[in-house]
Amino acid sequence: MEKRESLWEAYLRRGFSRRNFLKGCVALTSLMGFSTDMFSKVVEAAETKPLPVVIWIHGHECTGCDESFIRSGAPLASDVVLSSIALEYDHLLSAACGAPFEAHLDETIAKYNGQYILAVEGAIATKDSGVYCMSGGHTFTHLLEKAAKGAAAIIAYGSCSAYGGIQAAKPNPTGSAGIERFVGGKPVVKVPGCPPIPEVMTGVVMHVALFGTIPPCDSDGRPKQFYGNRIHDTCYRRPFFDAGMFAENFDDAGAKAGWCLYKLGCRGPETYNSCGNLRWWQGMSYPIQSGAPCIGCSNSNFWDEDPFTDRLPKYGKLGDVDKIGAALGVLTAAGVAGHAVASIVQRNQRENLIDEDHHE
Amino acid sequence: MAIKSVKEVKRKEFYLFSPFLRIFHWIMASQIVVLFVTGLLITKPMNVGATEPVFTNTSMDLVRDIHFMAAFILCASLILRIYGFIINKGDRLFPRFWEGHFYEETVDVALHYMLLRGHHASFLRNPLARGSYAMLYVLLAIEIFTGFAMYLMVNPSSTFGKLFGWVNTLVGSEMMSHYIHHYVAWFIILFAIGHFYMVVRAEFMEGESEISSMFSGKKILAHNPKDANELD
Repeated sequence: MEKRESLWEAYLRRGFSRRNFLKGCVALTSLMGFSTDMFSKVVEAAETKPLPVVIWIHGHECTGCDESFIRSGAPLASDVVLSSIALEYDHLLSAACGAPFEAHLDETIAKYNGQYILAVEGAIATKDSGVYCMSGGHTFTHLLEKAAKGAAAIIAYGSCSAYGGIQAAKPNPTGSAGIERFVGGKPVVKVPGCPPIPEVMTGVVMHVALFGTIPPCDSDGRPKQFYGNRIHDTCYRRPFFDAGMFAENFDDAGAKAGWCLYKLGCRGPETYNSCGNLRWWQGMSYPIQSGAPCIGCSNSNFWDEDPFTDRLPKYGKLGDVDKIGAALGVLTAAGVAGHAVASIVQRNQRENLIDEDHHE
Repeated sequence: MAIKSVKEVKRKEFYLFSPFLRIFHWIMASQIVVLFVTGLLITKPMNVGATEPVFTNTSMDLVRDIHFMAAFILCASLILRIYGFIINKGDRLFPRFWEGHFYEETVDVALHYMLLRGHHASFLRNPLARGSYAMLYVLLAIEIFTGFAMYLMVNPSSTFGKLFGWVNTLVGSEMMSHYIHHYVAWFIILFAIGHFYMVVRAEFMEGESEISSMFSGKKILAHNPKDANELD
């Protein structure tokens, strides 16, 4: 096996200065959510660790995660793909195609067995032996199992590979599901989002690349540094929520003034992501900032929790549970009132019978 | 000459409820009202009509704080319930579904409540009531678990966060916890309406101190209750 170069060697080969390299490492450290005292470890890893081989496969999905990934600003996606990782196989970004391309996948799996990082986008279609998602003449299930076997770590990019995604919405005709159950117990880092924030995608792959381990994750397998907080708890509109200042409609004064979108169904209070602090496009904006309530796209079941513009589901003409509950409450009250009258009538009848018994 | 409205009757006094259960009952009743009202306001907040956050009395924050405070008081008062449960047999009137007569008696009481029978056997606590109170504790447990699962997720990595975080995983998502919490709250209110009616009805129909027993701890019965042996 030929020697793979480290990030430092890649910088040297391109004629970058040591100063440039260190600046890059500072950016990486903060991006991965480390404090600055981890800086020396990042430098050390960047100097010595060979750049990892990455196999990136796509299942049942829209490839929107890739669209997001290639817009990463820090680090630039091109830097990640061309110099920070050795991307050997990617359905979407590869120029090659056909049988040679598939053969290259088999070669890569065999050559770097147990060392490569497997990045997976897209759900796995489980129904009817997986025929609803095919890749290279085989089912995606087959491809995933083959690629997962020799992987050092698996990154599940996007809500599809993490939880099943929009195609898993009721009635889920293809039986789409998250990949976790199909990778033979290998550690899976979930990077949910529809799509995930680009910097989060690159940050996670860089963590695995530099340290060879998966980042610290919560109980659901999501990296804590990016999914440790609710959007609600990091939202710049939170003071409006606390004060009780809400936009009631998309076109009212509150919406124009940028008040809290809670009453318009914002899922920020239930959603774990970095939208509130990292934001999108190098910190330019995020859905709530642009006036659209969060739909909770990084949540495990968000596609079935409609309507997105309301806090409670509605049942046709019956309305939401508050309406139904109030109606049931009134009905119950009327019912017990009727029952009370009937009970009194019944008691009087009983007492009359007893009285008659006494007279006889 | 005896006064017409006074007559001598023979009644038995049964000591049922320990002071701990009674105090718990009234804490629970009051906190459920507070929790329900504030809960509705949290789901559908009133608009304070202010133009600057700094000039409001932070209403949403206040409503949420009252909700959380009431929840903590309710949870803490469960200690009284548990203590009473341990020291006093009258606090332990289970639905005895493992005993055959429980089902016959349930049918008997149900038929009476459906007005198909003139009366039912006398109980310290009838099997239907027992079942409904057991159900209430289940509903309360759901509220407590889903409530803490949402409340503590401000920091999912904390010890308490880990203690309750599994609930969100179990029900599918945190939004689902919100839904369940909200729906079950309505069931508790429906229970409360029914409970209030049945207690007043029992007092009105039988006059056997159904209401005052939750203050005095005693029921003063003219009938001989079938389940009196449970106090021994």
